[in-house]
Amino acid sequence: MKICDVNINLEELKKFKEQNAKERLEFIKFWAEYIKTHSDKEWSKQQNKLINSQLRTARGIVKEKSGKLKNR
Amino acid sequence: MIYNEEKKEIISKRELNDLDKFALEFTDIIKKYADYVIVSGYVSILLGRSRATEDIDLLIPSIKLVNFILLWDDLKKSGFECINTSNPQKAFNMLEEHAIRFFKGVPIPNIELKIIKNDLDKYSYENKIKVILGEKILFISPLELQIAYKLFLAAEGPEAELQSDKDIEDAKHLYTIFKEEINKEELLYFSKKLNVEGKLRLLK
Repeated sequence: MKICDVNINLEELKKFKEQNAKERLEFIKFWAEYIKTHSDKEWSKQQNKLINSQLRTARGIVKEKSGKLKNR
Repeated sequence: MIYNEEKKEIISKRELNDLDKFALEFTDIIKKYADYVIVSGYVSILLGRSRATEDIDLLIPSIKLVNFILLWDDLKKSGFECINTSNPQKAFNMLEEHAIRFFKGVPIPNIELKIIKNDLDKYSYENKIKVILGEKILFISPLELQIAYKLFLAAEGPEAELQSDKDIEDAKHLYTIFKEEINKEELLYFSKKLNVEGKLRLLK
């Protein structure tokens, strides 16, 4: 497909965006209920995977960039 | 998590993540020189929100230069650096005007340190909640103000757009977790003061 053939339906995208936002809020609610019905140890284990991986990724990027700068 | 509203205390048996450990390492040092309160995004994360953040916002009362230098040296000894400057006098002067940031090794995560300036900061500080994490303690902003302030921080716009705002999501998370314990009158009071009463429906 060529770029000139791409059709963008903004109305459709807007609906998708709204639906996506609703689903996100549903998840927030679901997760909050999960926290209330499961032990701190259980939910935090799952949350920690997300947080630790984000921080490790960020640290990795910084180290990689500083390594590249040193090798210049 | 158990929230005792009267004692202003939350007991959490959560496992600590790297962000919690970073917050505890910094607060273990700062508490020797000043009381503090943590506000904004990390409060929601500490209380279970499934998202990450780049910084932790921390408020302290006005501090004398001599104490700030001691704090600075202690932070430096523990490997913390200030993003804004390497000069403690300059950092102290900046702190009077705006937040300064500290990191350890790499810039993410970092601590955004601010002096208490307005009544909302003061209220957060004076009504802080103690979060007990095993043998460790962190102090956070009262939940009612935190929720209302998150609604305030959310971008203005149509409801459909607001729903995906991270601040709205933080507010909804805190409200859903603690809706049985939070003081609804206080939440309404702050929402009115911050002119976000209309956004309260997004919490339900």
